[in-house]
Amino acid sequence: MIEVNDMFYAKSSDAAIADAGEYGGAVTSILKFLLKEGIVDAVLAVEEGADLYDAVPILIEDPDKVVKSAGSIHFGTLNLAKVVEKYLDGAQDMKIAVTVKPCDAMTMVELIKRERVNPDNVIMIGLNCGGTMPPVKSREMMEKFYEFDPDSVVKEEIAKGKLIVETADGTEKEIPIDDLEDEGFGRRTNCRRCEINIPTMADLACGNWGVIGPLAGKATFIEVCSPKGAEVLEKAKEAGALDLEEPIEKGITIRKNIDNAMVKLADKWQDADWEDVKGREIFSALTEYLPDFSRCIKCYGCREACPICYCDDCCLEAHNGPDWLSKGEIPPSPMFHLERMIHMVESCTNCGQCEEVCPSEIPLAKIWHEVNAKVKDNFGYVKGTGENKPPMGFFPMDKMPL
Amino acid sequence: MEIKYVPTICPYCGVGCGMNLVVKDDQVVGVEPWKRHPVNEGKLCPKGNFCYEIIHRDDRLTTPLIKENGQFREATWDEAYDLIVSKFGEFDPNEIGFFCCARSPNENIYVNQKFARVVIGTHNVDHCARLCHGPTVAGLAASFGSGAMTNSYESFEHADLIFCIGSNSLEAHPLVGRRLLRAKYGNGAYLIVADPRYTPTAKHADQYVPFKTGTDVALMNAMMNVIISEGLEDKEFIEKRTKNYEELKEMVAKYTPEMAEEITEVPADTIRDMARKYAKADKAAIVYSLGITEHSHGVDNVQQTANLAMLTGNIGRLGTGVNPLRGQNNVQGACDMGALPTDYPGYRKVMDEEVTEDISCTWGCSDLGCEPGLKIPEMIEAAYKGDLKMLYITGEDPVISDPDVNHVIKALENLDFFVVQDIFMTDTAEYADVVLPAACWAEQEGTFTNGERRVQLIRKAVDAPGDSKVDWEIFCDLAKRMGADPEQFTYESAQDIFEEVRTVTPQYAGMNRERLEKPEALHWPCPSEDHPGTSMMHVEQFSHPDGLGIFAALEEKGPMETPDDEYPLILTTTRILFHYHAAMTRRAETLDREVPTGYMEINTEDAAELGIINDEIVKVKSRRGEIEIPARVTTDIMKGIVNIPMHFRECSANVLTNAAAIDPRSGMPEYKACAVAVSKMEGGK
Repeated sequence: MIEVNDMFYAKSSDAAIADAGEYGGAVTSILKFLLKEGIVDAVLAVEEGADLYDAVPILIEDPDKVVKSAGSIHFGTLNLAKVVEKYLDGAQDMKIAVTVKPCDAMTMVELIKRERVNPDNVIMIGLNCGGTMPPVKSREMMEKFYEFDPDSVVKEEIAKGKLIVETADGTEKEIPIDDLEDEGFGRRTNCRRCEINIPTMADLACGNWGVIGPLAGKATFIEVCSPKGAEVLEKAKEAGALDLEEPIEKGITIRKNIDNAMVKLADKWQDADWEDVKGREIFSALTEYLPDFSRCIKCYGCREACPICYCDDCCLEAHNGPDWLSKGEIPPSPMFHLERMIHMVESCTNCGQCEEVCPSEIPLAKIWHEVNAKVKDNFGYVKGTGENKPPMGFFPMDKMPL
Repeated sequence: MEIKYVPTICPYCGVGCGMNLVVKDDQVVGVEPWKRHPVNEGKLCPKGNFCYEIIHRDDRLTTPLIKENGQFREATWDEAYDLIVSKFGEFDPNEIGFFCCARSPNENIYVNQKFARVVIGTHNVDHCARLCHGPTVAGLAASFGSGAMTNSYESFEHADLIFCIGSNSLEAHPLVGRRLLRAKYGNGAYLIVADPRYTPTAKHADQYVPFKTGTDVALMNAMMNVIISEGLEDKEFIEKRTKNYEELKEMVAKYTPEMAEEITEVPADTIRDMARKYAKADKAAIVYSLGITEHSHGVDNVQQTANLAMLTGNIGRLGTGVNPLRGQNNVQGACDMGALPTDYPGYRKVMDEEVTEDISCTWGCSDLGCEPGLKIPEMIEAAYKGDLKMLYITGEDPVISDPDVNHVIKALENLDFFVVQDIFMTDTAEYADVVLPAACWAEQEGTFTNGERRVQLIRKAVDAPGDSKVDWEIFCDLAKRMGADPEQFTYESAQDIFEEVRTVTPQYAGMNRERLEKPEALHWPCPSEDHPGTSMMHVEQFSHPDGLGIFAALEEKGPMETPDDEYPLILTTTRILFHYHAAMTRRAETLDREVPTGYMEINTEDAAELGIINDEIVKVKSRRGEIEIPARVTTDIMKGIVNIPMHFRECSANVLTNAAAIDPRSGMPEYKACAVAVSKMEGGK
């Protein structure tokens, strides 16, 4: 029997999928299996939109269409937990398998704790993540640093501290990620600070790290993270959808080492971003950002993008009570952001959606990441894991006192 | 359950931001960022974020309406078409006019103007560019040979200095505003904002220059005076790439900063300082919008920006240029498609016999005529006088947006027959004899051309409600009923129309579907399929036949209507971040909640003199009419000037504005300056 904490090298037993998916197509096969067996009603994954740089969520109900989502898109900076909450009714009435990066997975956990997503109806297939890159900026990077036509790029990966890019004609070029990021390219700034690379809060954590030996590049390393994950993998194996092998011991160590290296890199960026401000209290932090908040044009983009901002009746535009904020005022009072902070920051997973959509270039993710770190320091609450509820005055929405 | 993300373009301003409409089981349920889009990288302003809220509203028009005994009744398309066709038959072609819709795709506009010209036989076809960037089209065409933005939005980020005059980009074109913020805060560009109002944009300026509304020509003449007298002009550029310099030099000689100070209220030393900074910057970009164009000397203002740029060699390089920010999402396209009484698609001139013959041949008709048609203000005037009998408006709302609304209403009421085609019962549609229900942007395929000349695909997300139809289908139906050659008005799809557009619009010739499918799409001119498109114009030479830019020597004229004892204040009209005109944004719940009605900004000193306090309802009166409106007392506007946003019918700025003061070179009315009196309400304390 497969159990929690078990680890495997996995590949699809379907040759077509093994070919289309990355690293043996294990993830694609699991998703297809879940649909085909009726274990889930739909799969939520990501497909290529206009091109490799355009990640689009896709809800798949037909098992034969799962292959459309095969292959990874490192320019995909979405948060699929938000999609589940906002557009799929929090999986209240349908069973969904979702592919999740660590920030999606952590967000899903927070939304489950807040009773916005039904945990019984969601299977999280976690994907290791060393960070994602913003599409438009990355195209510029391809031209500027790699001297590639961005349309010719077919693959990129981060390995050994380098971003390796490959074009359609097989040309490969690698540049240290530090060099790119010092110039303002590479991964999103929130990703640089992120120390969670393996989504162990999901049901399964999948990736290529640690696959060595004869299966190198041809299989996926899977760690079983929950009883649900164990059950899914067991069934998939029994049904012959997957070929599983014991991982090579050294591979497990290598995976751990890669994770550690990424965590170290995140520490480096946290030091860089917060060097002068370590240990300062929240008010000093917020005061520093007042000039940034003064650029706000009240587009509500951060609220719309934030997975934790789900209220139907939002106090930022209260119309049945006191006006917490003056209507139509540009820039709005900093209260706009502080109210949002109070409501979401304990559950903030540093997913970066807010900052990415901000037309005024306010470093929102950086601000909330710092404040969330203080929640951890003060309350011992670690976002996105475990079963403890967020610590500060938490009410599930349907129990909100009038 | 089905969920799909439909990548398309925002329906509001000319910036042309990309977005995903989220469709769940045939309903648009949200907007999600399209981070791959080069214009905005997934970022949107409030209008964009909430644009989906209007799509499925209950008050969408879903069936044709015919007015009988002063009341609308529901009608079938056959009834409506029969009535319209019979009316078309009653009047001479030149007694009929068309306003095209600059919010709708190129394909609709193209067919609309073709219908007017080929089926009806009139060049009385125009659109709202007349009332926003008509002076840009005329002015930059005169100076540079092409009347469009010279550079791309991205280009601003390469500027060392940005001179922003008459543009509140952060509110009116927020995702261009972002480029200005990035240029300043990210790259250290020096930002000068000249505006009578201390706008949200001006608040980010390194140098804010308040100046009296309507004195732009004097201000820029004085800047050029300083540049020339201090030898800061780009002699090589002037020598090699321009003509008429001596005339300009002679003209500006008398505009000393001291003289201009008298006119503009800008201290002479400030003028010197900004002139030096602009001239000395390696890459200086000019950004302007309706603060430049909406004057009775709008074309002069536009040409002054071109003069400044040519004088200092700030053209044809990244980070430079003359950059008008276009208004409606597809107003650039509406100009390109020939929704102009003087121009066929691609700016080919109606007055040119060869062109007219060529077009006649292409469109299979014999007698297009070389006499240009009437512009919008001329059509309104002709209707008022009874010379224009029938008007067909698609997606415009002149009862909100045209000057002197009371006059406009009288003109509309004086029409023999009036058709409005729109998505909602607008304030204008109320005056129509027939109202036709149209599909909105989310319900059709086609292309929008943004302000940087980027031609972008829009994609259908959902079906149009009820019996409503896409504009081009309606015009094709009417054309066939009018007995037009069916071959000229039979299209399979929007793409089918676009293929025809490519054949008659040289700037679009190279834009095949495959190339437009890329999010970067293509900037015109793109004359052939192997041409990369043109994100920056005038690199080697200008678009005039001799390749030279032309300096224009221009005198300060100032506003036509100036304050006097009876009407002592100058009114300027503006737009705010949360609204785009009225019919759509006022129906978007979130935006309406944010700003539900209008207000008048007045300087604290003026307010004190009048005894007016903040939020007090006051009376504002001009020679055209009067309104009641809440006052917003602020130091963010110069003394002597008041400002009213133009979106709100219940306190309509355009009841006050002046339709009689018109730029002789473009037909632009003087929206940004009219004389008003502000007083307390009777019984007001």
